[in-house]
Amino acid sequence: MSKSIVLLFLLIFSFNLNAYESEEELKVVISGKVAKYIEWKNCRHDKFIITVFDYPHANLFAEIYRDKKIHSKSIVIKHIWSIDELGETDILYISKDANINLDTLLSSSRVNGVLTISDIRGFVQKGGIMQIYFVSQKLKLKINTDIALSEGFRIKPTLLRIADVVKGSN
Amino acid sequence: MKTKITVILSSLLIVGSLNAKDDLFDKNIEDIMLMDSELKADIGSRDGARNYLDSNTPVDVITYKQIESSGLTSLTDVLRYFVAGFNAPETSVADGSDHVRAFTLRGMSPDQVLILINGKRLHTSSLLHVNGTIGRGSTNVDLDTVALKSIEKIEIMRDGASAQYGSDAISGVINIILKGMGYKNVISAQGGQRSSGDGTLAQADAFITIPLDYDGFINLTMDAKKQEQTQRAGEDSRLAPPSVKTHAGIPDSQNYKAMLNAEIVQKNNINFYANALFNYRDSEASAFYRPSSSDSTPVYADGFLPMINAKILDYSVVIGVQGEFADSTTWNISNVYGSNNTHYMVSESMNYTLGATSPTSFDNGSLNFIQNTTSIDLTKKMDSFKIAGGVEYRYENYSIIAGDEASYSGTGSQGFVGYRPENETDKSRFNFAMYMDTVFYLSKKFTLEMLARYEEYSDFGESTNAKLALSYKLTPKILLRTSGSTGFRAPSLAQSYYSQTSSFVDSTTGNLSSQGTFRTDHEVSVALGATPLRSERSKNFSIGSVYQPTKDISFMIDYFYIEVNDRIMLTGDLSGDTQTQKDILAKYNVSEARYFTNAANTKTQGFDIKLNYKYIFANSSKLDINAWYNCNENTIVGSSSQTEKVRVEDGQPADSLRLLTSYEIKKLNLALNFSKYGSYSQMMDNKTYTFDEAYTVDLDLAYNFTKEFKLAVGGLNIFDTVPNKWDGLSGAYYGSNGIKPYSRYSPFGYSGAYYYLRASLEF
Repeated sequence: MSKSIVLLFLLIFSFNLNAYESEEELKVVISGKVAKYIEWKNCRHDKFIITVFDYPHANLFAEIYRDKKIHSKSIVIKHIWSIDELGETDILYISKDANINLDTLLSSSRVNGVLTISDIRGFVQKGGIMQIYFVSQKLKLKINTDIALSEGFRIKPTLLRIADVVKGSN
Repeated sequence: MKTKITVILSSLLIVGSLNAKDDLFDKNIEDIMLMDSELKADIGSRDGARNYLDSNTPVDVITYKQIESSGLTSLTDVLRYFVAGFNAPETSVADGSDHVRAFTLRGMSPDQVLILINGKRLHTSSLLHVNGTIGRGSTNVDLDTVALKSIEKIEIMRDGASAQYGSDAISGVINIILKGMGYKNVISAQGGQRSSGDGTLAQADAFITIPLDYDGFINLTMDAKKQEQTQRAGEDSRLAPPSVKTHAGIPDSQNYKAMLNAEIVQKNNINFYANALFNYRDSEASAFYRPSSSDSTPVYADGFLPMINAKILDYSVVIGVQGEFADSTTWNISNVYGSNNTHYMVSESMNYTLGATSPTSFDNGSLNFIQNTTSIDLTKKMDSFKIAGGVEYRYENYSIIAGDEASYSGTGSQGFVGYRPENETDKSRFNFAMYMDTVFYLSKKFTLEMLARYEEYSDFGESTNAKLALSYKLTPKILLRTSGSTGFRAPSLAQSYYSQTSSFVDSTTGNLSSQGTFRTDHEVSVALGATPLRSERSKNFSIGSVYQPTKDISFMIDYFYIEVNDRIMLTGDLSGDTQTQKDILAKYNVSEARYFTNAANTKTQGFDIKLNYKYIFANSSKLDINAWYNCNENTIVGSSSQTEKVRVEDGQPADSLRLLTSYEIKKLNLALNFSKYGSYSQMMDNKTYTFDEAYTVDLDLAYNFTKEFKLAVGGLNIFDTVPNKWDGLSGAYYGSNGIKPYSRYSPFGYSGAYYYLRASLEF
């Protein structure tokens, strides 16, 4: 009897679907998942490059995107700490810690046509394209479609339906 | 057979330990956005919000979704419902304590729990519990001033934290986090009744949010509630024939609450924030019935039931601004102003001394408390450590305003005597504090936090406290944690300056005599041995572990030990031992007196065991199970009255269990909760009576007709559990056949089952 109970518990515990995820993992995963719903203006390289700016959990990007592909391209993760290091990239993930350098970062990314993603508060009104935030333990997205359009991105309606759309360029 | 089981178990464990990160990226985006992220808590560290399971001190979180599916309408009940070791009895015929419920954590004193809103100290009530209730001699925060719809989550730290937050944080800290950006507007209404047909409750609330630029917001919550009384009194054997006259149960009350939470965010990252709380409560409860007598006949030929009415106005306003320097040092400047006014009125009463000319309604005076706290905080995060520091200045004022003359002259108004001019007081104090909090990330596994706080009070001097907390990740799934700290609690101004004297006709001499509570510096108290109050000093120690075999299951066990020296208590009623003492009592025409004193030392120890489990079935339905067992032992070391000893050591359940389950399938939400309340004792007529442990079951069934509209039906204590009555006690007032058949210490009240219907609309 006791063995059966133990077995039942283990069955339950083993086949669960990981209901609680860390916020950082969700942020990292969603940053790549959204790319599926976005078309870049120019395909400049054969790799899909995600640049991570000053993000203490940057190793999560490496772990999660190992052997993954976005738009049939293999993924390259670059971790940078200063604006000067910003090179060609498809996505620029800006961590909260970079808030103070935000204006400069966004100016640089605009020149290069980069999808900017961050969890900085008010990011999409400060000139960013996509903002990640959490409400009641659920991940939410905000997309500034005006800035996205002006940068040449085409965002599929499927993504816009599940995100909060913000208008107005910085 | 054994081999088979081993193989199966091993296989399952391997499956269970598969890397979740791989799964995540393969899910579709909608599923990811529907996932529950980790629960985070700010409390206990200035290190920022972190997964509460990773905290170096025991922390628990109650979410607004849990609160919504509880069917509860008051914060005190919410905490009692979810937190094992949180006790909040419902008293009646206990004067002011009927209107502001005392609550305790781990069986300690109500004033040893610090309450914060968004991390800022919330002022206490002006009401001092002076009757024989749990929490006698203390003031506590009036938790029922907070509108539930405004709450995003409640964080509970089960550890001493004076080194972080200052006075009062001895048995724990409760931080109420208000909803921020991104929530939907919601209006809801609830109606319900007790199974016995009384205690009708009608409540409606609304949460309105206005989004502002840069994710700023203005959130406004309004809440109105009307609670009708429950009646569980026994027959009054003094009457012929005996009949039910006195009211024993939940009082009649109307409660109006409003909450504001706002953040105005500037593009340059400066954030102006404010929150405000407003509460007005009009509550009425009875005193004991006065049978017809020669004193009452001039006004009430057939006897009368005095009604005590408390009009409580409570408000708090927080304003602040925070930002970040170029070197990423964050700064935060804030001011919190809080005020509580408790105004007593007595109706359907009389003053015997005034005879036929006595009014029947009285203004009995009021109690007021004001607290203003200004603080400046700085935080700097480096690679391997974080440092925070700050200063705080707090001003407090306590005053008593006398009632009208008829309420206190002679015998005073029956039921509750008004405050006299000699009870009036208007006292202030201030304190200055500075603190330093450092967190060292010694390795990926090892975190060390050191805190120190210096306080200087204008009335009782200095206090320096420190805390050391360590956490160590033994494996990615096992966290070990321990902390040790010192703490203190400054005597409240109410404890220092409250006084109330009431008069009665001595049945043997026929003379008018007085008894009551006297200030520590009053000649009567000094004659009886009172000395100036000192602060309570505490030492806390905790050690525990968190085990997370998967992301969906966590198991916590924590042991705690708390030593409090010089605990402040109210003495028993003293009539003096020596002739000198009796002479001084006589000088003030007083037969009995009591005062506050640093009476004894206490020791509290116990443990908490928690299990949280979440399971998502293949059909996407979700099951949540949260079990929490608390066991605590309180011991008085030193002299105290036997009544006080029983109240402190055995007056509250030594153990309690909460088993909370919820199941969500498609449009249906089911919450089923089971609670165990351990046994407790109360002393009456020099004898200790012990009441049995009890079990209650609560059920809430909610159906989402549309995404916006939800209807719920449910019940609290659905099997109508009531505590057992006094066994063997047969007094007229207290006893199994007395006016009050149940102990006022009952941890789940005695009003029985409550059923309700709730509707809510989101937009």
